[in-house]
Amino acid sequence: MRSELATNSVAAGSTAGNSAARARKRRFKGSSVAVFAFLCMCAAFVAIPLYVVIVTSFKPIEEITLGHIFALPVSWTITPWFKAWNTMCTGLSCDGIKSGFLTSIEILLPSLVLSIALSSVTGYALALWNVRWAGTFLFVLFICAFVPFQIIMIPLILVIANLGLFGTVWGIAIVHAILTMPLLTLIFRNFYKDIPRELINAAIMDSGGFWLIFRKIILPMSANIMVVVLILMITTVWNDYLVGLTFGGISAQPMTVILANAVVTSRGEVIHNVNMAAAIITAIPPLVVYFALGRFFVQGITAGAIKG
Amino acid sequence: MAPQLALTPALAITLVGFVWAIGWTIYMSFTRSRRFPDYGIDPAGWLSQYQRLFGDDAWETSLRNLVVLAIGSALAIAFGFILAAMVEREKFGEGTFRTIFLYPLAVSLIVTGLVWRWMFNPSLGIEAFLHQLGWTSARFNWLATPETAMYGIILASIWHGLGFYMALMLAGLKSINTEIWSAARIDGVGIWRLYTGVIIPMMKFTFLTCAILLSLGVVKAYDIVVAMTNGGPGTSTWTPAYFAINAYSTRSNIGFASAAAVIMLLITLAIFLPLVLITAWQNRRREAAGT
Repeated sequence: MRSELATNSVAAGSTAGNSAARARKRRFKGSSVAVFAFLCMCAAFVAIPLYVVIVTSFKPIEEITLGHIFALPVSWTITPWFKAWNTMCTGLSCDGIKSGFLTSIEILLPSLVLSIALSSVTGYALALWNVRWAGTFLFVLFICAFVPFQIIMIPLILVIANLGLFGTVWGIAIVHAILTMPLLTLIFRNFYKDIPRELINAAIMDSGGFWLIFRKIILPMSANIMVVVLILMITTVWNDYLVGLTFGGISAQPMTVILANAVVTSRGEVIHNVNMAAAIITAIPPLVVYFALGRFFVQGITAGAIKG
Repeated sequence: MAPQLALTPALAITLVGFVWAIGWTIYMSFTRSRRFPDYGIDPAGWLSQYQRLFGDDAWETSLRNLVVLAIGSALAIAFGFILAAMVEREKFGEGTFRTIFLYPLAVSLIVTGLVWRWMFNPSLGIEAFLHQLGWTSARFNWLATPETAMYGIILASIWHGLGFYMALMLAGLKSINTEIWSAARIDGVGIWRLYTGVIIPMMKFTFLTCAILLSLGVVKAYDIVVAMTNGGPGTSTWTPAYFAINAYSTRSNIGFASAAAVIMLLITLAIFLPLVLITAWQNRRREAAGT
Protein backbone atom coordinates (compact mmCIF):
# COMPACT_ATOMS: atom_id res chain seq x y z
CA MET A 1 0.00 0.00 0.00
CA ARG A 2 1.13 3.50 -0.76
CA SER A 3 0.73 5.01 2.66
CA GLU A 4 2.85 2.22 4.04
CA LEU A 5 5.59 3.04 1.56
CA ALA A 6 5.57 6.68 2.52
CA THR A 7 5.64 6.20 6.28
CA ASN A 8 8.30 3.53 6.09
CA SER A 9 10.60 5.49 3.87
CA VAL A 10 10.21 8.64 5.95
CA ALA A 11 11.06 6.72 9.10
CA ALA A 12 14.03 5.02 7.47
CA GLY A 13 15.20 8.21 5.85
CA SER A 14 16.01 10.04 9.03
CA THR A 15 18.60 7.53 10.16
CA ALA A 16 20.37 6.40 6.99
CA GLY A 17 23.22 7.88 5.09
CA ASN A 18 25.05 10.21 7.45
CA SER A 19 28.62 9.25 6.68
CA ALA A 20 27.99 9.19 2.97
CA ALA A 21 26.37 12.60 3.14
CA ARG A 22 29.50 13.95 4.75
CA ALA A 23 31.66 12.45 2.01
CA ARG A 24 29.45 13.94 -0.65
CA LYS A 25 29.61 17.37 0.84
CA ARG A 26 33.38 17.33 0.68
CA ARG A 27 33.34 16.19 -2.91
CA PHE A 28 31.01 18.87 -4.32
CA LYS A 29 31.97 21.87 -2.24
CA GLY A 30 32.69 24.20 -5.15
CA SER A 31 29.13 25.01 -6.15
CA SER A 32 27.97 25.35 -2.56
CA VAL A 33 27.45 29.11 -2.65
CA ALA A 34 25.26 28.92 -5.75
CA VAL A 35 23.21 26.16 -4.19
CA PHE A 36 22.74 28.14 -1.02
CA ALA A 37 21.68 31.21 -2.99
CA PHE A 38 19.16 29.19 -4.98
CA LEU A 39 17.73 27.68 -1.80
CA CYS A 40 17.39 31.14 -0.29
CA MET A 41 15.52 32.37 -3.35
CA CYS A 42 13.08 29.48 -3.19
CA ALA A 43 12.67 29.98 0.56
CA ALA A 44 11.82 33.62 -0.13
CA PHE A 45 9.18 32.59 -2.66
CA VAL A 46 7.60 30.34 -0.04
CA ALA A 47 7.98 32.68 2.92
CA ILE A 48 7.03 36.02 1.37
CA PRO A 49 3.25 35.44 1.19
CA LEU A 50 3.16 34.75 4.94
CA TYR A 51 5.21 37.88 5.61
CA VAL A 52 2.98 39.99 3.37
CA VAL A 53 -0.21 38.76 5.00
CA ILE A 54 1.05 39.37 8.52
CA VAL A 55 2.36 42.82 7.65
CA THR A 56 -0.85 43.77 5.86
CA SER A 57 -3.00 42.70 8.77
CA PHE A 58 -1.22 45.20 11.04
CA LYS A 59 -1.44 48.17 8.68
CA PRO A 60 -4.11 50.84 8.84
CA ILE A 61 -6.14 51.01 5.62
CA GLU A 62 -4.59 54.35 4.54
CA GLU A 63 -1.18 52.73 4.44
CA ILE A 64 -2.45 49.82 2.37
CA THR A 65 -3.85 52.10 -0.34
CA LEU A 66 -0.33 53.43 -0.92
CA GLY A 67 0.48 50.03 -2.41
CA HIS A 68 3.78 49.32 -0.60
CA ILE A 69 2.94 45.66 -0.22
CA PHE A 70 6.33 44.60 1.16
CA ALA A 71 6.87 47.53 3.52
CA LEU A 72 6.55 47.18 7.26
CA PRO A 73 3.67 49.12 8.82
CA VAL A 74 4.60 52.70 9.68
CA SER A 75 2.05 52.84 12.47
CA TRP A 76 1.15 49.39 13.75
CA THR A 77 -2.50 48.75 14.55
CA ILE A 78 -4.31 45.76 15.97
CA THR A 79 -7.83 46.93 15.10
CA PRO A 80 -8.08 44.78 11.92
CA TRP A 81 -7.70 41.70 14.10
CA PHE A 82 -10.53 42.77 16.40
CA LYS A 83 -12.70 43.67 13.43
CA ALA A 84 -12.03 40.31 11.78
CA TRP A 85 -12.93 38.50 14.98
CA ASN A 86 -15.95 40.57 16.03
CA THR A 87 -17.53 42.69 13.29
CA MET A 88 -16.43 41.45 9.88
CA CYS A 89 -19.34 41.00 7.45
CA THR A 90 -19.75 37.44 6.24
CA GLY A 91 -22.62 37.00 3.85
CA LEU A 92 -25.76 38.09 5.70
CA SER A 93 -24.52 38.94 9.18
CA CYS A 94 -21.74 41.15 10.46
CA ASP A 95 -20.46 39.47 13.58
CA GLY A 96 -17.00 38.41 12.54
CA ILE A 97 -15.46 34.99 12.19
CA LYS A 98 -15.63 34.07 15.88
CA SER A 99 -18.79 32.01 15.34
CA GLY A 100 -16.98 30.11 12.57
CA PHE A 101 -14.10 29.43 14.93
CA LEU A 102 -16.44 27.85 17.45
CA THR A 103 -18.24 25.87 14.74
CA SER A 104 -14.93 24.57 13.44
CA ILE A 105 -14.00 23.37 16.92
CA GLU A 106 -17.42 21.80 17.38
CA ILE A 107 -16.90 19.94 14.11
CA LEU A 108 -13.29 19.01 14.82
CA LEU A 109 -13.75 17.31 18.20
CA PRO A 110 -16.48 14.79 17.27
CA SER A 111 -14.76 14.10 13.92
CA LEU A 112 -11.54 13.24 15.73
CA VAL A 113 -13.23 10.93 18.22
CA LEU A 114 -15.46 9.22 15.66
CA SER A 115 -12.88 8.65 12.98
CA ILE A 116 -10.01 7.60 15.24
CA ALA A 117 -12.15 5.21 17.29
CA LEU A 118 -13.62 3.67 14.17
CA SER A 119 -10.42 3.40 12.15
CA SER A 120 -8.11 2.19 14.90
CA VAL A 121 -10.44 -0.67 15.86
CA THR A 122 -10.99 -1.59 12.21
CA GLY A 123 -7.29 -1.44 11.45
CA TYR A 124 -6.53 -3.58 14.51
CA ALA A 125 -9.12 -6.21 13.57
CA LEU A 126 -7.87 -6.38 9.99
CA ALA A 127 -4.20 -6.53 10.95
CA LEU A 128 -4.10 -8.97 13.82
CA TRP A 129 -7.20 -11.16 13.67
CA ASN A 130 -7.99 -13.75 11.07
CA VAL A 131 -10.77 -12.21 9.09
CA ARG A 132 -11.59 -14.19 5.99
CA TRP A 133 -12.17 -11.40 3.47
CA ALA A 134 -9.59 -9.01 4.95
CA GLY A 135 -7.58 -8.76 1.71
CA THR A 136 -10.60 -7.88 -0.39
CA PHE A 137 -11.82 -5.38 2.17
CA LEU A 138 -8.43 -3.67 2.28
CA PHE A 139 -8.37 -3.41 -1.49
CA VAL A 140 -11.84 -1.85 -1.53
CA LEU A 141 -10.75 0.62 1.18
CA PHE A 142 -7.67 1.45 -0.87
CA ILE A 143 -9.88 2.42 -3.80
CA CYS A 144 -12.35 4.28 -1.56
CA ALA A 145 -9.50 6.41 -0.22
CA PHE A 146 -8.99 7.82 -3.71
CA VAL A 147 -12.48 8.42 -5.08
CA PRO A 148 -13.42 12.05 -5.64
CA PHE A 149 -15.83 13.47 -3.09
CA GLN A 150 -18.28 14.60 -5.78
CA ILE A 151 -19.19 11.02 -6.71
CA ILE A 152 -20.65 10.33 -3.24
CA MET A 153 -21.68 13.86 -2.27
CA ILE A 154 -25.31 13.95 -3.39
CA PRO A 155 -26.40 10.60 -1.94
CA LEU A 156 -24.63 11.46 1.32
CA ILE A 157 -26.51 14.75 1.45
CA LEU A 158 -29.78 12.81 1.08
CA VAL A 159 -28.81 10.36 3.83
CA ILE A 160 -27.67 13.07 6.23
CA ALA A 161 -30.80 15.13 5.50
CA ASN A 162 -33.01 12.09 6.15
CA LEU A 163 -31.29 11.58 9.49
CA GLY A 164 -32.15 15.18 10.30
CA LEU A 165 -28.48 16.09 10.59
CA PHE A 166 -28.12 18.39 7.59
CA GLY A 167 -26.85 21.79 8.65
CA THR A 168 -25.57 20.55 12.02
CA VAL A 169 -22.02 20.11 13.23
CA TRP A 170 -22.76 16.43 13.83
CA GLY A 171 -23.72 15.94 10.20
CA ILE A 172 -20.41 17.43 9.08
CA ALA A 173 -18.46 15.41 11.65
CA ILE A 174 -20.09 12.17 10.49
CA VAL A 175 -19.29 12.94 6.87
CA HIS A 176 -15.66 13.64 7.82
CA ALA A 177 -15.52 10.33 9.67
CA ILE A 178 -16.89 8.53 6.60
CA LEU A 179 -14.51 10.26 4.20
CA THR A 180 -11.38 9.69 6.27
CA MET A 181 -12.21 6.14 7.41
CA PRO A 182 -10.59 4.29 4.45
CA LEU A 183 -7.27 6.13 4.63
CA LEU A 184 -7.01 6.08 8.44
CA THR A 185 -7.87 2.40 8.55
CA LEU A 186 -5.07 1.66 6.08
CA ILE A 187 -2.63 3.71 8.15
CA PHE A 188 -3.58 1.95 11.40
CA ARG A 189 -3.57 -1.45 9.75
CA ASN A 190 -0.08 -0.89 8.32
CA PHE A 191 1.14 0.12 11.76
CA TYR A 192 -0.47 -2.77 13.65
CA LYS A 193 0.49 -5.50 11.18
CA ASP A 194 4.13 -5.28 12.32
CA ILE A 195 3.16 -6.33 15.84
CA PRO A 196 4.22 -9.97 16.19
CA ARG A 197 1.35 -12.46 16.02
CA GLU A 198 2.91 -14.44 18.90
CA LEU A 199 2.18 -11.55 21.22
CA ILE A 200 -1.51 -11.70 20.35
CA ASN A 201 -1.60 -15.48 20.49
CA ALA A 202 -0.02 -15.45 23.94
CA ALA A 203 -2.57 -12.88 25.06
CA ILE A 204 -5.41 -15.04 23.74
CA MET A 205 -3.99 -17.99 25.70
CA ASP A 206 -4.07 -15.75 28.70
CA SER A 207 -7.83 -15.58 28.13
CA GLY A 208 -7.67 -12.09 26.70
CA GLY A 209 -10.53 -11.18 24.38
CA PHE A 210 -10.60 -8.91 21.35
CA TRP A 211 -11.40 -5.73 23.27
CA LEU A 212 -9.24 -6.51 26.29
CA ILE A 213 -6.18 -7.02 24.08
CA PHE A 214 -6.95 -3.81 22.24
CA ARG A 215 -7.21 -1.86 25.46
CA LYS A 216 -4.35 -3.39 27.41
CA ILE A 217 -1.77 -4.15 24.73
CA ILE A 218 -2.50 -2.38 21.46
CA LEU A 219 -3.56 1.07 22.63
CA PRO A 220 -0.52 1.60 24.90
CA MET A 221 1.70 0.80 21.90
CA SER A 222 -0.07 3.26 19.63
CA ALA A 223 1.10 6.63 20.95
CA ASN A 224 3.26 7.37 17.90
CA ILE A 225 0.72 6.51 15.26
CA MET A 226 -2.01 8.31 17.22
CA VAL A 227 -0.06 11.56 17.09
CA VAL A 228 0.53 11.16 13.35
CA VAL A 229 -3.15 10.45 12.69
CA LEU A 230 -4.27 13.22 15.01
CA ILE A 231 -2.18 15.76 13.10
CA LEU A 232 -3.43 14.48 9.78
CA MET A 233 -7.04 14.72 10.96
CA ILE A 234 -6.69 18.16 12.54
CA THR A 235 -5.25 19.66 9.35
CA THR A 236 -7.73 17.83 7.11
CA VAL A 237 -10.83 18.74 9.07
CA TRP A 238 -9.83 22.25 10.02
CA ASN A 239 -8.74 23.13 6.48
CA ASP A 240 -11.72 21.50 4.83
CA TYR A 241 -13.97 23.75 2.80
CA LEU A 242 -16.07 21.54 0.54
CA VAL A 243 -17.70 19.32 3.19
CA GLY A 244 -18.50 22.30 5.38
CA LEU A 245 -19.96 24.13 2.42
CA THR A 246 -22.16 21.31 1.18
CA PHE A 247 -23.28 19.86 4.52
CA GLY A 248 -23.27 22.91 6.78
CA GLY A 249 -26.22 24.68 5.18
CA ILE A 250 -26.42 28.15 6.65
CA SER A 251 -26.48 27.14 10.30
CA ALA A 252 -23.20 25.23 10.70
CA GLN A 253 -20.57 26.97 8.62
CA PRO A 254 -16.97 26.23 9.58
CA MET A 255 -14.35 28.94 9.55
CA THR A 256 -13.09 28.32 6.02
CA VAL A 257 -16.60 28.74 4.62
CA ILE A 258 -17.18 31.93 6.60
CA LEU A 259 -13.84 33.29 5.45
CA ALA A 260 -14.51 32.49 1.80
CA ASN A 261 -17.97 34.07 2.06
CA ALA A 262 -16.54 37.20 3.55
CA VAL A 263 -13.75 37.66 1.05
CA VAL A 264 -14.85 36.01 -2.19
CA THR A 265 -18.58 36.16 -2.48
CA SER A 266 -19.62 39.18 -0.47
CA ARG A 267 -20.31 42.22 -2.58
CA GLY A 268 -19.67 44.83 0.07
CA GLU A 269 -16.67 47.06 0.59
CA VAL A 270 -13.39 45.11 0.58
CA ILE A 271 -11.32 45.83 3.67
CA HIS A 272 -7.97 44.26 2.93
CA ASN A 273 -6.35 44.42 6.34
CA VAL A 274 -9.38 42.85 8.02
CA ASN A 275 -9.50 40.12 5.38
CA MET A 276 -5.84 39.32 5.91
CA ALA A 277 -6.27 39.22 9.69
CA ALA A 278 -9.19 36.81 9.22
CA ALA A 279 -7.08 34.65 6.92
CA ILE A 280 -4.32 34.40 9.53
CA ILE A 281 -6.74 33.60 12.34
CA THR A 282 -8.14 30.78 10.21
CA ALA A 283 -4.67 29.46 9.44
CA ILE A 284 -3.28 29.69 12.99
CA PRO A 285 -4.46 26.38 14.54
CA PRO A 286 -2.90 24.04 11.93
CA LEU A 287 0.20 26.26 11.76
CA VAL A 288 0.64 25.93 15.53
CA VAL A 289 0.36 22.17 15.16
CA TYR A 290 2.94 22.30 12.38
CA PHE A 291 5.51 24.35 14.25
CA ALA A 292 4.99 22.42 17.49
CA LEU A 293 5.09 18.91 16.04
CA GLY A 294 7.02 19.30 12.81
CA ARG A 295 8.50 15.81 12.64
CA PHE A 296 5.20 14.02 13.13
CA PHE A 297 3.54 16.51 10.83
CA VAL A 298 5.68 15.46 7.89
CA GLN A 299 4.94 11.81 8.61
CA GLY A 300 1.25 12.53 8.89
CA ILE A 301 1.09 14.47 5.67
CA THR A 302 3.09 11.93 3.68
CA ALA A 303 1.05 9.10 5.17
CA GLY A 304 -2.04 11.01 4.18
CA ALA A 305 -0.61 11.72 0.77
CA ILE A 306 -3.67 10.23 -0.78
CA LYS A 307 -5.79 13.08 0.48
CA GLY A 308 -4.01 15.33 -1.98
CA MET B 1 -17.09 -13.24 16.84
CA ALA B 2 -15.69 -10.03 18.33
CA PRO B 3 -13.46 -9.14 15.33
CA GLN B 4 -16.35 -9.52 12.91
CA LEU B 5 -18.54 -7.45 15.19
CA ALA B 6 -15.89 -4.74 15.41
CA LEU B 7 -15.67 -4.60 11.63
CA THR B 8 -19.40 -4.11 11.15
CA PRO B 9 -19.44 -0.30 11.35
CA ALA B 10 -16.57 0.08 8.89
CA LEU B 11 -18.16 -2.44 6.57
CA ALA B 12 -21.51 -0.68 6.76
CA ILE B 13 -19.87 2.67 6.01
CA THR B 14 -18.02 1.21 3.04
CA LEU B 15 -21.15 -0.38 1.66
CA VAL B 16 -23.49 2.57 2.21
CA GLY B 17 -21.16 5.55 2.06
CA PHE B 18 -19.05 4.39 -0.86
CA VAL B 19 -20.40 1.39 -2.79
CA TRP B 20 -24.09 2.29 -2.66
CA ALA B 21 -23.42 6.02 -2.99
CA ILE B 22 -21.22 5.57 -6.06
CA GLY B 23 -23.80 3.25 -7.62
CA TRP B 24 -26.55 5.75 -6.86
CA THR B 25 -24.65 8.59 -8.52
CA ILE B 26 -23.87 6.48 -11.58
CA TYR B 27 -27.55 5.55 -11.85
CA MET B 28 -28.63 9.18 -11.44
CA SER B 29 -26.42 10.19 -14.35
CA PHE B 30 -28.70 8.09 -16.60
CA THR B 31 -31.85 9.84 -15.42
CA ARG B 32 -33.16 13.31 -15.98
CA SER B 33 -33.27 14.19 -12.28
CA ARG B 34 -33.27 17.88 -11.64
CA ARG B 35 -33.68 19.37 -8.18
CA PHE B 36 -34.96 16.08 -6.75
CA PRO B 37 -33.94 12.53 -7.68
CA ASP B 38 -36.09 11.01 -10.41
CA TYR B 39 -35.66 7.26 -10.64
CA GLY B 40 -36.85 6.75 -14.22
CA ILE B 41 -34.22 6.40 -16.94
CA ASP B 42 -34.13 9.44 -19.18
CA PRO B 43 -36.61 8.78 -22.04
CA ALA B 44 -34.37 10.73 -24.41
CA GLY B 45 -31.73 7.98 -24.05
CA TRP B 46 -29.73 6.91 -21.02
CA LEU B 47 -26.63 8.76 -22.16
CA SER B 48 -28.34 12.06 -22.83
CA GLN B 49 -26.85 13.73 -19.70
CA TYR B 50 -23.40 12.85 -21.05
CA GLN B 51 -24.30 14.20 -24.50
CA ARG B 52 -25.36 17.47 -22.86
CA LEU B 53 -22.22 17.45 -20.72
CA PHE B 54 -19.84 17.09 -23.62
CA GLY B 55 -21.80 19.67 -25.60
CA ASP B 56 -21.28 22.17 -22.76
CA ASP B 57 -18.61 24.81 -23.38
CA ALA B 58 -17.88 25.18 -19.67
CA TRP B 59 -17.19 21.44 -19.39
CA GLU B 60 -14.80 21.63 -22.31
CA THR B 61 -13.03 24.50 -20.56
CA SER B 62 -12.95 22.48 -17.35
CA LEU B 63 -11.28 19.51 -19.02
CA ARG B 64 -8.76 21.75 -20.74
CA ASN B 65 -7.99 23.47 -17.44
CA LEU B 66 -7.50 20.08 -15.83
CA VAL B 67 -4.71 19.31 -18.29
CA VAL B 68 -3.21 22.80 -18.01
CA LEU B 69 -3.26 22.63 -14.23
CA ALA B 70 -1.69 19.15 -14.21
CA ILE B 71 1.13 20.17 -16.54
CA GLY B 72 1.70 23.46 -14.73
CA SER B 73 1.71 22.00 -11.24
CA ALA B 74 4.13 19.31 -12.39
CA LEU B 75 6.72 22.05 -11.93
CA ALA B 76 6.20 21.50 -8.21
CA ILE B 77 7.54 17.96 -8.62
CA ALA B 78 10.55 19.15 -10.62
CA PHE B 79 11.36 21.89 -8.14
CA GLY B 80 10.58 19.55 -5.27
CA PHE B 81 13.28 17.21 -6.53
CA ILE B 82 15.82 19.97 -7.09
CA LEU B 83 15.16 21.38 -3.63
CA ALA B 84 15.33 17.96 -2.01
CA ALA B 85 18.67 17.24 -3.70
CA MET B 86 20.01 20.60 -2.54
CA VAL B 87 18.58 20.54 0.97
CA GLU B 88 19.98 17.06 1.47
CA ARG B 89 23.47 18.21 0.49
CA GLU B 90 23.32 21.45 2.40
CA LYS B 91 24.52 20.80 5.91
CA PHE B 92 24.06 24.42 6.84
CA GLY B 93 20.47 25.18 7.76
CA GLU B 94 18.85 22.01 6.49
CA GLY B 95 16.28 22.14 9.28
CA THR B 96 15.43 25.78 8.64
CA PHE B 97 14.92 25.26 4.92
CA ARG B 98 12.78 22.23 5.57
CA THR B 99 10.58 24.14 7.99
CA ILE B 100 10.12 26.99 5.53
CA PHE B 101 9.35 24.85 2.51
CA LEU B 102 6.85 22.70 4.35
CA TYR B 103 4.73 25.22 6.22
CA PRO B 104 2.32 25.94 3.31
CA LEU B 105 1.07 22.37 3.73
CA ALA B 106 -0.51 23.37 7.01
CA VAL B 107 -2.33 26.29 5.41
CA SER B 108 -5.74 25.56 3.90
CA LEU B 109 -6.23 26.04 0.17
CA ILE B 110 -8.86 28.68 0.90
CA VAL B 111 -6.34 30.78 2.83
CA THR B 112 -3.69 30.08 0.18
CA GLY B 113 -6.04 31.31 -2.52
CA LEU B 114 -6.96 34.45 -0.60
CA VAL B 115 -3.34 35.28 0.08
CA TRP B 116 -2.33 34.93 -3.56
CA ARG B 117 -5.40 36.84 -4.66
CA TRP B 118 -4.06 39.66 -2.53
CA MET B 119 -0.59 39.36 -4.10
CA PHE B 120 -2.16 39.53 -7.56
CA ASN B 121 -4.19 42.65 -6.72
CA PRO B 122 -3.26 45.07 -9.54
CA SER B 123 -3.35 48.36 -7.66
CA LEU B 124 -2.04 47.23 -4.27
CA GLY B 125 -0.14 43.99 -4.83
CA ILE B 126 3.04 42.93 -6.58
CA GLU B 127 2.18 44.73 -9.81
CA ALA B 128 1.97 48.04 -7.98
CA PHE B 129 5.27 47.25 -6.27
CA LEU B 130 6.99 46.59 -9.61
CA HIS B 131 5.55 49.80 -11.06
CA GLN B 132 6.90 51.77 -8.12
CA LEU B 133 10.31 50.26 -8.80
CA GLY B 134 10.11 51.84 -12.23
CA TRP B 135 9.22 48.75 -14.23
CA THR B 136 5.94 50.23 -15.45
CA SER B 137 5.29 47.68 -18.18
CA ALA B 138 5.24 44.79 -15.69
CA ARG B 139 1.98 42.85 -15.68
CA PHE B 140 1.12 40.76 -12.67
CA ASN B 141 -2.66 41.07 -12.80
CA TRP B 142 -3.01 37.51 -14.04
CA LEU B 143 -6.34 36.73 -12.42
CA ALA B 144 -8.21 39.44 -14.32
CA THR B 145 -7.80 38.03 -17.83
CA PRO B 146 -9.12 34.62 -18.96
CA GLU B 147 -5.87 33.77 -20.75
CA THR B 148 -3.65 34.13 -17.69
CA ALA B 149 -5.99 33.36 -14.76
CA MET B 150 -5.11 29.65 -14.83
CA TYR B 151 -1.41 30.53 -14.45
CA GLY B 152 -2.26 32.38 -11.27
CA ILE B 153 -3.95 29.29 -9.90
CA ILE B 154 -0.99 27.16 -10.98
CA LEU B 155 1.43 29.47 -9.17
CA ALA B 156 -0.57 29.26 -5.96
CA SER B 157 -0.86 25.46 -6.29
CA ILE B 158 2.89 25.16 -6.72
CA TRP B 159 3.43 27.34 -3.66
CA HIS B 160 1.15 25.09 -1.65
CA GLY B 161 2.44 21.73 -2.92
CA LEU B 162 6.17 22.35 -3.28
CA GLY B 163 7.08 21.24 0.23
CA PHE B 164 5.02 18.10 0.00
CA TYR B 165 6.84 16.87 -3.11
CA MET B 166 10.12 17.91 -1.58
CA ALA B 167 9.34 15.76 1.47
CA LEU B 168 8.49 12.75 -0.70
CA MET B 169 11.66 13.29 -2.75
CA LEU B 170 13.79 13.63 0.38
CA ALA B 171 12.42 10.33 1.62
CA GLY B 172 13.24 8.79 -1.75
CA LEU B 173 16.77 10.25 -1.81
CA LYS B 174 17.55 9.06 1.69
CA SER B 175 16.51 5.51 0.90
CA ILE B 176 19.13 5.31 -1.85
CA ASN B 177 22.00 3.01 -1.03
CA THR B 178 24.77 5.08 0.54
CA GLU B 179 27.54 3.23 -1.33
CA ILE B 180 26.47 4.81 -4.59
CA TRP B 181 27.69 8.19 -3.43
CA SER B 182 31.15 6.97 -2.52
CA ALA B 183 31.35 4.81 -5.62
CA ALA B 184 30.59 7.83 -7.77
CA ARG B 185 33.23 9.81 -5.91
CA ILE B 186 35.91 7.20 -6.47
CA ASP B 187 35.00 6.86 -10.13
CA GLY B 188 35.14 10.62 -10.51
CA VAL B 189 31.61 10.88 -11.88
CA GLY B 190 30.45 14.50 -12.17
CA ILE B 191 27.52 15.70 -10.13
CA TRP B 192 25.31 16.29 -13.19
CA ARG B 193 25.95 12.81 -14.59
CA LEU B 194 25.48 11.29 -11.17
CA TYR B 195 21.99 12.77 -10.80
CA THR B 196 20.72 12.36 -14.38
CA GLY B 197 22.34 9.01 -15.04
CA VAL B 198 22.05 7.24 -11.70
CA ILE B 199 19.93 8.94 -9.05
CA ILE B 200 16.89 9.93 -11.09
CA PRO B 201 16.52 6.53 -12.77
CA MET B 202 16.79 4.93 -9.32
CA MET B 203 14.01 7.15 -8.06
CA LYS B 204 11.59 6.53 -10.88
CA PHE B 205 9.11 4.96 -8.51
CA THR B 206 9.13 8.07 -6.30
CA PHE B 207 8.63 10.27 -9.35
CA LEU B 208 5.73 8.15 -10.51
CA THR B 209 4.10 8.25 -7.07
CA CYS B 210 4.44 12.03 -7.06
CA ALA B 211 2.95 12.27 -10.55
CA ILE B 212 -0.03 10.12 -9.62
CA LEU B 213 -0.68 11.99 -6.38
CA LEU B 214 -0.42 15.28 -8.23
CA SER B 215 -2.91 14.14 -10.86
CA LEU B 216 -5.36 12.96 -8.22
CA GLY B 217 -5.02 16.29 -6.44
CA VAL B 218 -5.65 18.17 -9.67
CA VAL B 219 -8.86 16.23 -10.34
CA LYS B 220 -10.06 17.36 -6.90
CA ALA B 221 -9.02 21.01 -7.39
CA TYR B 222 -11.92 23.04 -6.09
CA ASP B 223 -11.06 25.12 -3.01
CA ILE B 224 -8.19 26.93 -4.66
CA VAL B 225 -10.38 27.90 -7.62
CA VAL B 226 -13.12 29.23 -5.36
CA ALA B 227 -10.70 31.24 -3.29
CA MET B 228 -8.73 32.75 -6.16
CA THR B 229 -11.17 33.40 -8.98
CA ASN B 230 -14.47 31.72 -8.09
CA GLY B 231 -14.33 30.24 -11.59
CA GLY B 232 -13.91 33.56 -13.33
CA PRO B 233 -13.37 35.59 -15.37
CA GLY B 234 -16.44 34.08 -17.00
CA THR B 235 -15.94 30.32 -16.85
CA SER B 236 -12.26 30.46 -17.73
CA THR B 237 -10.92 28.81 -14.55
CA TRP B 238 -13.55 26.12 -14.05
CA THR B 239 -12.30 22.64 -13.28
CA PRO B 240 -14.32 19.39 -13.38
CA ALA B 241 -14.64 19.47 -9.59
CA TYR B 242 -15.94 23.03 -9.75
CA PHE B 243 -18.26 22.14 -12.60
CA ALA B 244 -19.83 19.22 -10.70
CA ILE B 245 -20.47 21.28 -7.56
CA ASN B 246 -21.81 24.15 -9.62
CA ALA B 247 -24.18 21.86 -11.56
CA TYR B 248 -25.58 20.66 -8.25
CA SER B 249 -25.72 23.81 -6.15
CA THR B 250 -26.27 26.57 -8.70
CA ARG B 251 -28.05 24.80 -11.56
CA SER B 252 -29.84 22.42 -9.12
CA ASN B 253 -29.47 19.59 -11.60
CA ILE B 254 -28.71 16.26 -9.93
CA GLY B 255 -28.59 14.26 -13.18
CA PHE B 256 -26.14 16.64 -14.81
CA ALA B 257 -23.94 16.92 -11.70
CA SER B 258 -23.87 13.14 -11.42
CA ALA B 259 -22.72 12.77 -15.01
CA ALA B 260 -19.85 15.20 -14.33
CA ALA B 261 -18.97 13.32 -11.13
CA VAL B 262 -18.92 10.00 -12.99
CA ILE B 263 -16.44 11.41 -15.52
CA MET B 264 -14.32 12.60 -12.57
CA LEU B 265 -14.41 9.07 -11.18
CA LEU B 266 -13.36 7.62 -14.53
CA ILE B 267 -10.44 10.06 -14.74
CA THR B 268 -9.42 9.12 -11.19
CA LEU B 269 -9.55 5.42 -11.99
CA ALA B 270 -7.49 5.95 -15.14
CA ILE B 271 -4.82 7.64 -13.02
CA PHE B 272 -5.20 5.14 -10.22
CA LEU B 273 -4.78 1.97 -12.28
CA PRO B 274 -1.01 2.37 -12.82
CA LEU B 275 -0.59 2.85 -9.05
CA VAL B 276 -2.36 -0.43 -8.32
CA LEU B 277 -0.24 -2.26 -10.87
CA ILE B 278 2.98 -0.73 -9.58
CA THR B 279 2.12 -1.53 -5.96
CA ALA B 280 1.45 -5.12 -6.94
CA TRP B 281 4.74 -5.25 -8.87
CA GLN B 282 6.67 -3.76 -5.95
CA ASN B 283 5.16 -6.21 -3.50
CA ARG B 284 6.10 -9.10 -5.74
CA ARG B 285 9.62 -7.79 -6.11
CA ARG B 286 9.93 -7.31 -2.37
CA GLU B 287 8.72 -10.83 -1.73
CA ALA B 288 11.16 -12.16 -4.32
CA ALA B 289 13.97 -10.26 -2.60
CA GLY B 290 12.87 -11.56 0.80
CA THR B 291 13.01 -15.25 -0.07
